[in-house]
Amino acid sequence: MQSGVLNPDTLKHHIRDLDFVGPCCDSGGYKSVYIARVAGRKEALKVLRIRKIEGDPDIVEAFCDEQVTRVKREVKALKECHIPELVKLGTVAPVEFDYNDEKYIAYSEEFLEGSDLRKLINSERPLPVIGEVIQLFQSLLKCIQKLWQHGYVHRDIKPANVIKTTDPDRPFVLLDLGIAYAVHETSLTLRHDERMPLATYRYLAPEMMQPDFREHIDYRTDLYTTGMTVFEYASGQHPLAKGSDDLMRTISRALRQAPVPLKHYRNDFPDSFCDLVDGLLKKKPALRPANMAMLFRKLEEIS
Amino acid sequence: MRLLAQHGASNGDKVAEGMRKGYIDGVIYSPRDISAENLREQLAEDIRINPDATLLFDPQYYAGHNVVDPEARLGRLGTCEEYGKYFRQRRRRELESGRPVLIKDINDCLQFQNELRLSGIIGPNIVITRSFDSIEAVIAKNFIRLTGRASAKLKPAKPVYATLALSREALLDKRELVDFLTDITLLDDPPKGFYVLVESRNVDARSDILNADVIAGWMLINYTLSVNGYEVINGYSDILTPFLGIAGGTVGATGWWSNLRTFSLNRFQAASGGRLPIQRYLSKLLLNRITFFELDQLRSVYPRVLNGLETDDIYPEETGSQPDRSEEVLQAWQTIMSLNKDLITDNTLASLKRCRQAIKRAEVAYDEVESYITRLDPRSNRDHLPAMLEGLRLFADLAELETTLPDAD
Repeated sequence: MQSGVLNPDTLKHHIRDLDFVGPCCDSGGYKSVYIARVAGRKEALKVLRIRKIEGDPDIVEAFCDEQVTRVKREVKALKECHIPELVKLGTVAPVEFDYNDEKYIAYSEEFLEGSDLRKLINSERPLPVIGEVIQLFQSLLKCIQKLWQHGYVHRDIKPANVIKTTDPDRPFVLLDLGIAYAVHETSLTLRHDERMPLATYRYLAPEMMQPDFREHIDYRTDLYTTGMTVFEYASGQHPLAKGSDDLMRTISRALRQAPVPLKHYRNDFPDSFCDLVDGLLKKKPALRPANMAMLFRKLEEIS
Repeated sequence: MRLLAQHGASNGDKVAEGMRKGYIDGVIYSPRDISAENLREQLAEDIRINPDATLLFDPQYYAGHNVVDPEARLGRLGTCEEYGKYFRQRRRRELESGRPVLIKDINDCLQFQNELRLSGIIGPNIVITRSFDSIEAVIAKNFIRLTGRASAKLKPAKPVYATLALSREALLDKRELVDFLTDITLLDDPPKGFYVLVESRNVDARSDILNADVIAGWMLINYTLSVNGYEVINGYSDILTPFLGIAGGTVGATGWWSNLRTFSLNRFQAASGGRLPIQRYLSKLLLNRITFFELDQLRSVYPRVLNGLETDDIYPEETGSQPDRSEEVLQAWQTIMSLNKDLITDNTLASLKRCRQAIKRAEVAYDEVESYITRLDPRSNRDHLPAMLEGLRLFADLAELETTLPDAD
């Protein structure tokens, strides 16, 4: 039971605000998501089982605290960064509870009708038209800009964390600030000896693999993962990884191999657009076009 | 890519003539070589000749820090009272002491220029003489950051360019260079662009700047800044101007003396004497200057060495191809402008290809030239070509211009 999926009745017992909770609709790692109704509104209830480690009691306690603080930081970031392209908080504020000798923390976000990009990429869909891909690109850039204004780097932009909604006013919404990095705050990662950063390795910017990445991290890391996400959504192909690759092979490609140009898969797209996406996939952050005003202007010109 | 005159001593009518004939798009003035009063007159004259001219002023603030020689030749920079509004001798301790000193110097420098009829303003900075991992580099970075901030307050607003001046040695450590670029491409208050200077200790040693690592590093600076939306003005870029244009540079500059073709702090050191250099002809085919008497030997037997441009007339056959010294620079300006047109396209990879082809053509041409002149002057020979070719390769590698096809593994 790694993800710690709970019975709806158990959740209702511990979280008083809930009118109704459905069965778990998504789970992964230590996190599970439920569709809930709170004060008459449909919301996504996110429940995190606190991971345990063994050893020195002080370290064990600090490790638990880190996970709780991370959730609280996610909630804080979402409160600060209020734009339509970022998921909004729901009614349930973070609540901690114990069940069967395990610790949990739960809170709610708005429920978004739609599908995440990972599912769409894996489905038998026609490839999206340029206008739609530009909308995705613009939405992610707005999120990066807003987060950076408040000193955050998302660090986990990837197709599975973007919802294509049914709402034409906010066609794409970015989720999951669970590992967002606050550049002006103390690092939350207790075990610095664990060299691998927390993000999903297929969407890991090359600089994140450097041991001293915390010293240099800025929003260009999110620009890289935005490039990856836009590329994959537009083409159905990951620009670097192959299905059969293991972790080391993927990391090695991210560090050393030049990506396939987007034009190779989408020769119907304008060169200027393909160049922009390819530019975000450069290994060196300095080589990625990071002037946000310029990026928005170029996308506007292309559209 | 625009080409400007790098102003210096003994201007005479060179700049005016270059602008009148359309060989240059403007000037970068040197306060060491012109008083503020004369500068105002000169700017008015430039605007009369070309109202769209790019007129800039290198404040040469670095000379107040990097030149410590008591016999320094600061020229008007040291004697013209008006330049005292911003130019001052600053020791490192003062520059390290905190932001107020830097902010004052930056504001004074920008304000001084804002009152002149310039099309843009160049911020003050010091030269990073050794490494990007140095106190000097930290000070230089602070100047860059604060220049952007100060530019936002300037009234009336004009484009402001932060100075990035570094020694060729600093360019050799690519990792440090990339880290430095990573820092300066993420500014809260960005300037419009950068004025980039690469310093050589010896302006007569061709290999100092025409070195693969230096070429690649300088191109990388242009590329990185331009992809991040900055305009890049390259001072003293001379024959490397088209290379920097390929990498995204917007402006290049060169002048009439060797110390106006290559940037060096030696220009501000006590003079060691010397004689006037032999006049040279810049050949598009050879991507190099040859002496006028080499030109004279070659032009009838190997006419391809000539550019076929209007300024070839400055080297008349009847006088043994010896040009009037004051006109030599016109030939260089027109040739560089013509090379810019031939080599720079909207597509970096296509431009690189053109550049490589031009170098290959130069290699073949040198084979032929050497069958007519067995011993070229050391500065006329082909030594620059391998450095240029390798510089392009290194740049393409550093700028990650290569791509992979999906079946490659």
